[in-house]
Amino acid sequence: MSVPLHVGIDAGSSATKCVILDGEGALIGHHVAPSGFDFGESAEAALTRSLQEAEGKIEDVVSCVSTGYGRESVPQAGRHVTEITCHARGAREWYPQVRSIIDIGGQDTKVIHLHADGRMADYRMNAKCAAGTGTFLESIALKLGVTLSDLDELAMKSSGDTLVNSFCTVFAGTEVLERVKAGEAKENICLGLFRSIATRVSEMMSSRNGAVGVTGGVVAHCRAMIRSLNEVLETEVLLPPMPQHAGAYGAALLAREQK
Amino acid sequence: MSAIVKRVEIKAQKRLKALLRDYFVNLDEAAKDPTRRVAWCTSVGPCEILTAMGFEVHFPENHGAQLGARKVSHLHIPRAVGVGYCAESCSYMTSDIGASLSGYSPLQEAYGIEGPAKPDLLAYSTNQCREVQDWWNFFGRRFDAPVDGICPPTHLGEVTSEHIAFVRGLLEAFIQRTEASFGLKLDMDRLKEVVSLSSRASTLWRQVLDTATAAPAPLTFWDGLIQMAPVIVMRGSQTAVDYYDMLLAEMQQRVSDGVGAIPDEQWRLYWEGMPVWPKLRELSDKFFDLRAVIAASTYCNSWAFEEYNGGDPLAWMAKTSIELFINRDENTKQAFLEEMFDKFAVDGAVFHNARTCPNNTNSRFGMAQRLREKRGMPILVFDGDLSDVRFFSTAQSMTNIEAFIEQLQEGRR
Ligand code: SF4
Repeated sequence: MSVPLHVGIDAGSSATKCVILDGEGALIGHHVAPSGFDFGESAEAALTRSLQEAEGKIEDVVSCVSTGYGRESVPQAGRHVTEITCHARGAREWYPQVRSIIDIGGQDTKVIHLHADGRMADYRMNAKCAAGTGTFLESIALKLGVTLSDLDELAMKSSGDTLVNSFCTVFAGTEVLERVKAGEAKENICLGLFRSIATRVSEMMSSRNGAVGVTGGVVAHCRAMIRSLNEVLETEVLLPPMPQHAGAYGAALLAREQK
Repeated sequence: MSAIVKRVEIKAQKRLKALLRDYFVNLDEAAKDPTRRVAWCTSVGPCEILTAMGFEVHFPENHGAQLGARKVSHLHIPRAVGVGYCAESCSYMTSDIGASLSGYSPLQEAYGIEGPAKPDLLAYSTNQCREVQDWWNFFGRRFDAPVDGICPPTHLGEVTSEHIAFVRGLLEAFIQRTEASFGLKLDMDRLKEVVSLSSRASTLWRQVLDTATAAPAPLTFWDGLIQMAPVIVMRGSQTAVDYYDMLLAEMQQRVSDGVGAIPDEQWRLYWEGMPVWPKLRELSDKFFDLRAVIAASTYCNSWAFEEYNGGDPLAWMAKTSIELFINRDENTKQAFLEEMFDKFAVDGAVFHNARTCPNNTNSRFGMAQRLREKRGMPILVFDGDLSDVRFFSTAQSMTNIEAFIEQLQEGRR
């Protein structure tokens, strides 16, 4: 017997995420594919693999919403909605109490504030710059000849509370090299990089009331990011079960809700 | 999504194109005629005095906007940066300086004119910013022409009679210096005539903008940006008055016919800050597709002055030049915005944080946040620039705008 399926596809700048919900709203399939050069192709790949996991067929898909940077290039979607609305919707489903959502993605970072009834109150995206995004970490890791997970592991070993002061990727790279030269422990420097992002995020928060949820690829893969956010924001941020899929999950929920 | 529904064209537009051609050709001829004089003037500087003294007036900010609208500012800014002007200072200024250094002007393609008319005098008022002084000084050196202007008190709360008297004195001194340098005599009756025409055009312009209080709004901010040209560059002329008479009649007709600039208007918004000249088309298409009309803006209203009812023309000039929004303190600005939000019954407001114009950006001292809290109204602040596309991200801005409309939709549900 076939079940109606609702699909959310988040075509992000570096990864395309797909989530499938059944008629009851249960998450029964998901997948992440690299975005590559063609959003349509990566959406197709993510959808096919998610359908396999859900044991569903493409004919069973009754609604599909796309989101993310490449949202307009997803042919399977009947509607596209911004990642701001989708992340808010996804995070709120996991944590109804959240009043702020921080999404740290590859190319942009957003902070979304919600009213108590769940409506969006305010949101902010990072300025046209890599500061405060995953790209900031990736490019410095590259410069240091390590992977992102090495950076994370080193940072977690730090007991310090240093901060890399530069938000700018280029200046931060220079600052890191200067500190290495000055003999500072590399664990501390690595933590400082995560704290730099957390500090940048804190500047984007117009309100510090209520629970804070975090989503996106960086928090999904880096414990040091969570640690830094907790320390800088002086709160225990809530990490949902599938932080990287929050946008796609929100899109799937909106697909299911659409009349 | 593309604009499937057709836009309603403004009929007066054809006349506007012809007027602008005449204006620039006349300026060019004046610059080449040794018996005539050209002055450069800031957009809300003492241009009525210059016109009354027989100068033809060029407005460099208009030239800066043309460079922006032609999407070439960022190609010329590096020349200005190379000679010591900061890349984050006014991009009207840096693009205008850079274009002059590279020998380019949008007037070449538009009217076959080599460039801005060479000035005999460069006159400014720092009622909008100090950048204009530095900008004018560059060209004063380049053309070996005198630079003169007034520096009125800025960031005013209440505008008092003392302020007005002081600025009136500055204007008188400016007149005396100009008379002495050029061997001219200002005819006060002529000044009164010019001021009357200036005020008449400005009043008509305000009435044109006010037609957008109707729903659907007959014109948008995007139309206003084009239609405002005469109130800036032809201020003090009968031509501008006649043009706005015609435009007003067209807009009033639209209102009585129920014709909106955006068919099926769903959202009414306010625009605060500078336009993004190189992205006008993309932005107006986006708002059009989202059925959002930008019914009012601070920018277009900046040339809607109080009416002149005879009397001392210098006192009128003094008062209007310091009463400007840009010249006021934060509280006065906020009160003005709230009045406009009510008058145009807007659902939300968009604040443009223009990287190179802090003077005409009002999201830097918490105003957007205060207004959100006080009015419970969604307000979007987005990063960009008036001319330099390097400070603008299309993808990010479009997401911001779409999310803003989604936020409005959520609020209406
Ligand atoms: S107000 Fe802004 S855009 Fe206009 S001249 Fe001054 S700095 Fe430039």
